[in-house]
Amino acid sequence: MPRTTTLECPGCPPLRALTFDELGLIKVIEARGKQGRAEPKLVERWGDLDSSKSVLAASLDDRKSDPLLAVARRNGMIEVLNPLNGDLRFSVTNSSNNGVQPEDDPVAGLHLLAKKNLELASRSCTLLTCTAKGNASIRSFELTKPASDVTSTGSSRTWSVGAGGNILCSKVDGSENYFLFGGKRVEMNVWDLDSCAKIWTAKPPPKNTLGIFTPTWFTSATFLSKDDHRKFVAGTNSHEVRLYDISAQRRPVISFEFRETAIKSVAEDLDGYTIYVGNGSGDLASFDIRTGKLLGCFLGKCSGSIRSIARHPDYPVIASCGLDSYLRLWNVKTRQLLSAVYLKQPLSNVLFDSNFADEEAEVVNPPANRLLHGEHIAPERDEDETPPVKRKKSKEKKGSKTEAKEKTGNGEPCQDNEQHIVAERDEGETPPLKRKKSKEKKGSKKEAKAKSGNNEACDDGGKKLKSKKSSKRLKRADVDDLS
Amino acid sequence: MGGDNNRRKRSESDGGGEEPPPERKMDVLPSMIKNKEKRSAVHAKLKQQKKLEKRKKAKARDAAEKRALELGEEPPAKKIPKTIENTREVDETVCKPDDEELFAGNDADEFSSILKRESNPKILITTCRFNSSRGPEFIKELLSVIPNATYYKRGTYDLKKIVEYANKKDFTSLIVVHTNRREPDALLIIGLPAGPTAHFKLSKLVLRKDIKNHGNPTSHEPELVLNNFTTRLGHRIGRLIQSLFPQEPNFRGRRVVTFHNQRDFIFFRHHRYIFEEKETKQIESKGKKTKDANGESGPKGKVIARLQECGPRFTLKLISLQHGTFDTKGGEYEWVHKPEMDTSRRRFFL
Repeated sequence: MPRTTTLECPGCPPLRALTFDELGLIKVIEARGKQGRAEPKLVERWGDLDSSKSVLAASLDDRKSDPLLAVARRNGMIEVLNPLNGDLRFSVTNSSNNGVQPEDDPVAGLHLLAKKNLELASRSCTLLTCTAKGNASIRSFELTKPASDVTSTGSSRTWSVGAGGNILCSKVDGSENYFLFGGKRVEMNVWDLDSCAKIWTAKPPPKNTLGIFTPTWFTSATFLSKDDHRKFVAGTNSHEVRLYDISAQRRPVISFEFRETAIKSVAEDLDGYTIYVGNGSGDLASFDIRTGKLLGCFLGKCSGSIRSIARHPDYPVIASCGLDSYLRLWNVKTRQLLSAVYLKQPLSNVLFDSNFADEEAEVVNPPANRLLHGEHIAPERDEDETPPVKRKKSKEKKGSKTEAKEKTGNGEPCQDNEQHIVAERDEGETPPLKRKKSKEKKGSKKEAKAKSGNNEACDDGGKKLKSKKSSKRLKRADVDDLS
Repeated sequence: MGGDNNRRKRSESDGGGEEPPPERKMDVLPSMIKNKEKRSAVHAKLKQQKKLEKRKKAKARDAAEKRALELGEEPPAKKIPKTIENTREVDETVCKPDDEELFAGNDADEFSSILKRESNPKILITTCRFNSSRGPEFIKELLSVIPNATYYKRGTYDLKKIVEYANKKDFTSLIVVHTNRREPDALLIIGLPAGPTAHFKLSKLVLRKDIKNHGNPTSHEPELVLNNFTTRLGHRIGRLIQSLFPQEPNFRGRRVVTFHNQRDFIFFRHHRYIFEEKETKQIESKGKKTKDANGESGPKGKVIARLQECGPRFTLKLISLQHGTFDTKGGEYEWVHKPEMDTSRRRFFL
């Protein structure tokens, strides 16, 4: 038998993700069933193969009823779809480019403003678009049943943010009052959406000790938390990640480097201080932005530039996608690869549909989970939830290997051990447990040695030599048995 | 410890007489024995046993074949040896012929205008800043391999400037030969104007004059053979290489350029071939590199393809594939080789 070292992917909780690629396809990936360890699969594909319809930006308004998905395409069209079945609600051209070819002035940012809708009639949507040349516009559309006639309601505003450069990234904060963008030769700007006025601009960092000035080139940005528009993180082409605080100063508060290729995407966690950084050579890492310290890297043979990272609103899961045409799902806590789905095309965007709930999954995860959505989640709360999922996982994983062991009636310690292995890096509760375990292990090992003379000890050593990991697990179980 | 070893020894010698039970053999690996003399003795014994077994098996196999031949039966099926290639790890990115997304992706990619024969390839070849001895010779041969290629001196220009210049002059590809210690060691193929940048390691370079009985290529446009580019990445690399050559080969020239991928190494060979109809096999021995290609054709005799190698011989290994033209600082990679990928010998990317 060939020795294969394919990583065993533990699967992920039930979720639904949408990916957008360079051929203009929208693919729906769903993981459903089986108690938090489902294999995500491609379930639907919308759109036809046309490279001119390559997706540049996408935004999802995932309210409970009547969700909307907006997609900006390379040919200047903006389509609003139903994210549940892919039906086209309506499509408009990006009107802000008067006389300019849409290919020359592609859409750089697209946002569906959800909160604005609440005041208006429920059947309308508001779109904020920003093109690379700096034409921003807010338009509202009335949704009528036949897709053909779309009435643009009065509140249509277009203004030029006149950057002179090339806008590459934009973001709207949680309250949807502030709008942030930056790009090549464009410093980070924060605009007030109500008055369409610039309220803040960043200042480039000073020259370094050698007198070299790095040109401004922002590639990605994100607000640090949902209810604070003052702090945001930006990634630059010169592989720097910067934290800006509007209330403090115009220069970055913290700035640190990550690897050696351009930062291509930045995403924030729900806890308000962890950020995820992906770069042009496929490295993904999480940072604590308060200190600028690297928390850890996500390792999983990812070799193509990471274009987009999305954090799941409920589960501790992030998704990353990029030029290697894989959608990868990671556990945030253990930084373990949960699953990778091959989607055949270079991907440009990934979004989570937070309202997706599998029928079976609904039973397992009571609706209490759902309450967390939209709130600021305290980290302890989050961690409380993860262990059951994990334990189930480990149990099932273990099941096949050490069935015999569990039959003998010491399922309990065995399982604990397993959890220890799986959730080694879990900060929340494991450290005391770990310490205890290791002590116990040592003690029992000695005991075992003392008890069973030379023979046994030698055998143990042999097992260790033979196969590192599995034998370790087995051995531990053995030791527990003895003790 | 000693007592333990002795016990083990005994069990070993007990088993060694006739048929050692396999599970016993497993738990007493010779490498676990600490006494060197005993270890080597056990090891030698094991080895001898293996050898005998192997010989026995071979004998049985031969006998079965012989008997089948005598009885006029079908000989037992030959076993296919396990190689690293045919036990390759399963890769879901391997291209399938019925994948419509793949073809749509091909139509949309950077090489489609050349491969659809809408435009002709035009290649610019240049070097790194310092270039001497084998570098220029290699480039001379590369110029004879790739039609419609021109060599430009590198001078002191930045590569980004050269890319700009080549774009202006409507070149479709740019090849940079990188030399280290007077020996070409890397090849950079840049698709223009937007195409990807492939960085290859170049090794085992043998120039034409070092090949025995080499031929001299004609100026006909060569045929191109691309072997084993199976995965999506390999497919893309294949298309990149394909876009270097004219799409209408001049079959009269009987020139063939081969890029053969095996275990992620791309072997480059350049041959001239000829089909000859021969009555007897005597002439074959005269041919330097003969091969039975077409086998029997008609009662007259064999049509044999004779190959004559010309041009350089080298091996490429992909290091990275970058999206867009050459940009080391802000570039996005479609694929980079990372050390963490090398956890299995049976995983291949092309």
